[in-house]
Amino acid sequence: MTPSFFSQASAITRRDLMRERRSGEVLWVTLPFGAVALLLIPIAIGVDTPTLKDVGVGMFWVVIMLFGVLVAVRRTTTANQAERDMVALTGLDPAASYVGSALANFVLLLAYEVVLGALTVVLYDIEMTGFAWFPLILILVAAGLALLGTLAGAIVAGGTGTSALVPFIVAPLSVPLLIAATQSFEGLRLGHSILTWVLMLVVIVLVLAIAGVLTARPLQETS
Amino acid sequence: MTIGTTTGAESDPRQSKPSLWPWYAMGVAGVVTLIASFVVPPDAIQEQLSRILYVHVPAAWLAYLAFSITMLASAMYLWKKSMTWDRIAASSAEIGVLLTGLTLAVGMIWGKSTWGVWWTWDARLTLTAIMFFVYLGYLALRRSTDNLEARARRSAILGVLAVVQVPLVHFSVIWWRGLHQTPSLAKPASVDMDTEMVITLFLAVAMFTVMYVSMMTKRVELARLEDELLERDDSADLPVAGDAVVAPTLGGES
Repeated sequence: MTPSFFSQASAITRRDLMRERRSGEVLWVTLPFGAVALLLIPIAIGVDTPTLKDVGVGMFWVVIMLFGVLVAVRRTTTANQAERDMVALTGLDPAASYVGSALANFVLLLAYEVVLGALTVVLYDIEMTGFAWFPLILILVAAGLALLGTLAGAIVAGGTGTSALVPFIVAPLSVPLLIAATQSFEGLRLGHSILTWVLMLVVIVLVLAIAGVLTARPLQETS
Repeated sequence: MTIGTTTGAESDPRQSKPSLWPWYAMGVAGVVTLIASFVVPPDAIQEQLSRILYVHVPAAWLAYLAFSITMLASAMYLWKKSMTWDRIAASSAEIGVLLTGLTLAVGMIWGKSTWGVWWTWDARLTLTAIMFFVYLGYLALRRSTDNLEARARRSAILGVLAVVQVPLVHFSVIWWRGLHQTPSLAKPASVDMDTEMVITLFLAVAMFTVMYVSMMTKRVELARLEDELLERDDSADLPVAGDAVVAPTLGGES
């Protein structure tokens, strides 16, 4: 009997998370790399606390967008053709594979955001205005970036120069996410409604999820 | 014969006679744009600098058109699986990148004279630059594999997704207040420009459209020849490494 779509997706999620637990790539490499970036920025722009307080949230999101991509695409650069062929031959639904990988990336990116977010609050002396909205925004951004990174990884899989190409494709395409995320936090700081920006994040997540599921099979056939 | 399945065996692509009309059309359109932009009276405030408008605006509009055609052709490729649509999508993206680069370059020259800086962090400028890089990524993706079908399918998906940048750039001047002016023509209430300037602007847009069509014709033709050559090289009985090495014989005779 063929396992259901969700069983297949959750199997992929478990596989990716287990692989991460064994390799510790995000925990021991990408996360410290992002932390170092947060430390380097004040050295470059000057260690003036009020200035850093103003730019802190923006810098946090830039680090998440640029370095978070590395979390989302870490498997793409190492998976070889034989492995992709084997997965295809098992009869695994490509859409389930996409959803499963995106879900694993989402979990890792959310953890990434939480750790670096806490570090940003400490290092940049960020005010926690509108704290109740933070989890929702972090979840939506992590979902959007995970879906985008997984999709970009599937698009470039098997090509040459993949490790550089995926971040190059994802970074400019993540601009709507970056705008919505930064504007949400700015809105919270100024006491404005952020419903429009949250809605924009929801739309982005839905569009990426639909695009990823619809294109999973054609992409698998060419990889 | 479907272009997507051609092997190019019946005619040598290197010997194909290229069409010349696109070159003439491009030349005429370029000269007409240049003459029109210098014949029209200058703006009362910006004076001669306003002539940049007749290159900057048409280039930006045609870049939007080019990327929209990339999206449509990409969608058509995913539906029909014909390599013709892939070539149209890729050619249009390439020309779109060229036009976006021109828009940015000309806009920066105008910005330096008007605002005093080459670059300002205005939403329209920044998003245009990002759109430029999104489509550079599209072109980089196409160079990452020699497999024609894989290349076409992957870039088609990105071609459909990337078009989200176009409305983002266009409406940025309305959504975010910045230095870049809001639309002068594309608004229902009224047109802020003098009639002569509007006519010249539309003439420039028409000429840029002629240039776009001409460039597309040549680029699609070139893309077809490139694909045919690639397929021919792939299927040709080429010598393998080591073919030139012959077994040694006694006395140096072969």
